[in-house]
Amino acid sequence: MSTNNNVMVSIDHLYKSYGPEMAVKDFNIEIEQGEFVTLLGPSGCGKTTTLRCVAGLERPEAGEIRIGETTVVAPEKEIFLYPEHRNIGMVFQSYAVWPHMTVFDNVAYGLRVRRASSNEIKTKTMQTLELVGLDHLADRFATKLSGGQRQRVALARAICYQPEVILFDEPLSNLDAKLREQMRDEIVRLQKEVGITSIFVTHDQSEALVMSDRVVVMDKAVIQQVGDPQEIYANPANSFVANFIGVTSLLEGKLDGRDGDICSVDVSMGQGAEPLRLRAIGAEGATPGDTVNVSLRPEDVTLHLERPQGTDHGNLIEGNVIDTIYLGSFLEGRVRVGPHEIGIQIDHFENLVRDQTVYLSFQPEHSLCLAN
Amino acid sequence: MTTETYSSNAVERSRLNNRLRAMVTQENLITLVVALIVAGAVIVPLVVLFVSSFKVLDPAGWDTTWGFGNYVTMFTDRIIPKAFVNTLIISSGSTILATFLGVSLAWINARTNCPGRSYLEPYNLIPFFLSPFVGAIAWHNLGEPQTGLLNNLAREVFGIEGAIINVDNIWGVIWVTGIFFAPLVYLFVVGSLRRMDPSLEDSARTTGAGLFRTTMTVTLPLVMPGILSGAIIVFVTSAGEFGVPFKLSAPYGWETLTTQIFSKAVGDDANHHMGAAMSMALGIITVFLIWVQQRYIAPRSFTTVTGKGFRPNVLDLGPWRWVAFGYNIFFIMVAVVLPIVCLIIVSLHPVWTGKIVLADITTINYVKTLMWWHPEAISAATNGIGNSLILAFGGASISMVLALVISYMIHRTKGFGVRMLDFLSMVPIGFPGIVLAMGVLVTYIQTPIYATLWILMLAYITRFFPYGQRNISSIMLAISEELDQSSRMAGASWFTTLRRITIPLLKPGLFAGWILLFIIFLRELSISIILFTTGTETLSVGVYYLTNFENEPLTSALSMAQTVMLLIAIYAFRRLAGREALTA
Repeated sequence: MSTNNNVMVSIDHLYKSYGPEMAVKDFNIEIEQGEFVTLLGPSGCGKTTTLRCVAGLERPEAGEIRIGETTVVAPEKEIFLYPEHRNIGMVFQSYAVWPHMTVFDNVAYGLRVRRASSNEIKTKTMQTLELVGLDHLADRFATKLSGGQRQRVALARAICYQPEVILFDEPLSNLDAKLREQMRDEIVRLQKEVGITSIFVTHDQSEALVMSDRVVVMDKAVIQQVGDPQEIYANPANSFVANFIGVTSLLEGKLDGRDGDICSVDVSMGQGAEPLRLRAIGAEGATPGDTVNVSLRPEDVTLHLERPQGTDHGNLIEGNVIDTIYLGSFLEGRVRVGPHEIGIQIDHFENLVRDQTVYLSFQPEHSLCLAN
Repeated sequence: MTTETYSSNAVERSRLNNRLRAMVTQENLITLVVALIVAGAVIVPLVVLFVSSFKVLDPAGWDTTWGFGNYVTMFTDRIIPKAFVNTLIISSGSTILATFLGVSLAWINARTNCPGRSYLEPYNLIPFFLSPFVGAIAWHNLGEPQTGLLNNLAREVFGIEGAIINVDNIWGVIWVTGIFFAPLVYLFVVGSLRRMDPSLEDSARTTGAGLFRTTMTVTLPLVMPGILSGAIIVFVTSAGEFGVPFKLSAPYGWETLTTQIFSKAVGDDANHHMGAAMSMALGIITVFLIWVQQRYIAPRSFTTVTGKGFRPNVLDLGPWRWVAFGYNIFFIMVAVVLPIVCLIIVSLHPVWTGKIVLADITTINYVKTLMWWHPEAISAATNGIGNSLILAFGGASISMVLALVISYMIHRTKGFGVRMLDFLSMVPIGFPGIVLAMGVLVTYIQTPIYATLWILMLAYITRFFPYGQRNISSIMLAISEELDQSSRMAGASWFTTLRRITIPLLKPGLFAGWILLFIIFLRELSISIILFTTGTETLSVGVYYLTNFENEPLTSALSMAQTVMLLIAIYAFRRLAGREALTA
């Protein structure tokens, strides 16, 4: 356990279940002061439950959560602080802006509850409203606001009284695409400006990659990987992470052998006369004969219409075009290689026809071999 | 130039023609005809009532003159001003009691971990369907100082001198009205409590407010429009309630507006014009309050539902959950169990003296009140079941057809008179049954339908079709019009669409509305009491007759018969309508 003084939130061995169903299993993390951490995963993976345990809206069965110096929940020690005693702020997916109050009253609520002086309430609330660009709407009722404006009110309400941590529960998923990007950038800007420790829950991987200092990928109640966005994207710890973050083709095969960092994988799956060998990195700990997945990002694959000359292409395989999809600035294509489908990105507008024979090449260091 | 002017005139004329022709469509014609029929049924009695209230009967009782005499009498009379005050006291008191009971029970059932709350809820709602008049009769037999069952038990078991309770006064009226109308408030509040987005409260907690503060500043304000609506409806319904004050307070010197209207409508000193004036006074109050509720309070309801299937926050009461449980059981006891048990006990005795005498147990009261072929049968009582069943079946069926037609017009056509229809189906809700019945009486007294079941049927439908109409409208609003349109696109005609798509989709609502009206008609008292004559007694009128001219055991027997019929209908209603059908 680290004794870092900068740790703002620490979660140790957190367990939470609903009936027989395990929602969070052995969750551990330490979050530093000012850090922006995202919990990322598909719905039902336990990310929101973890966040609600930090907020005090759920009671975990085991483990310990500390915010700053205070232990806020530790079932074994019979400690449980109610949400209102944890000095946190929280932004909900449904905004939860109170419809019977004005924008000002919504934002000032936390300060009023904390018995701030009326002067302080006025200045701080107006400052916060300015920060989110809503100072001109202070007297308006929350029901008269657009979705984006409501989310800004919710954000202002959560930061106005300067809590130690701010928790975001999928705050952008009710907004339309354009507004979502705009709010995303605004939350990042505000977070850096105020320097507040943030935990952000989302199922949108692009949100996670853009916003976070660190990403926690979860699946089936368990943490799959923790790392900064680059690391998560370039170096997924397992097939789930590789598949969940970005578009990935996973080719199942058998580990043949290893030469230093580079291992050789047969992905023919018993089809075809001879083995289809790919060279990839990774697969530490796996022994020859083990089933592994080779993970391949579309943008790392080069398309050739003719068999290319030379030998510096790393892996070179032959395949047949399945189809292509026009996506505006580029084409996305699928190519059948033996028993597998490989996704490719084509930025030059080739005229591909169905079943056309093409060649794909990619460097071994761009293809990651993942043990199951 | 001239030709141009001429042609532009012609264009204008043909446009006008087209517009006229466009207005004379089947849709418009039908809507207009229905609107006129409904207007005739709803508006004419109220207008005649208004006019009639300015006719002053001379002391001899033969001639009338025009003037404000009736309204002056309301202030100078020996009894009426007091009746006015009593009505206000009773309405205010029962509103406070019903609101407290309704909100607390709704909160316990929707938001706490009170044991067995989902099993208790249907029993909390039963008083809503039963007759408050019968409730008053039962409570009279429970809480009368000498013959009350509870008082006698207290004397025998605990050796207490005198009586522990006395319900034969204005407080008894408030008590019975309050517990019987508590479910009204409950139904207005429970939906928004149950479906409230939990993050509205969660965000108050994470912002730093405790449970109490969150409840006071977020939860309660958010359900306040529902509470106020429920409270106003209870106030208006209590002001128009006839049976409870007639049984519990009027005989002991506390008259109300309704008991006074009744005494002016029938009996020896009948004075329809005076009754009309008092009905106007009562109607103006209730219409004003309903208008305030519809215009200012209902639209304020906050949309607190986000559509995400969240379960609401459930509060762990700890050991207090048993207090909540006890409170809930207490309500069911006083509102449902005790009255019914008391009716059964009293109905099995030849005479009721306040004591259970096992040796005297008899079924003679049921024979006399139910078996019309029996020589000892009391015809005023035995007529009731047949008449009420005819009225309930016929009235509910006609009302639902009318409601279907009106709802369809309001929500699916753009014909003439749609707005008028919408308004007309609001009006009867504002008038207590006894007021509308007074209007129907003065309008039709010299026509052949007076003294037949038809006049009762007409008044029932006029007063209560809006309930069915709202039931259907709420479902029609929820069913996308695109479902209809898709059927038309697929080649079905308008009528086929109605038969194959619209009505099947509305079927659950139609049945639920039908049974609701069936229940209302089966226990109806305040209209029937004004319009019945010998031979057209209804169930409740039979109960009135027995309590007025016969004894308590006979009254209890017929009350019990009515209650059993209502309980069967309630069971059918719950099977068909599901648990939240009433909140719409």
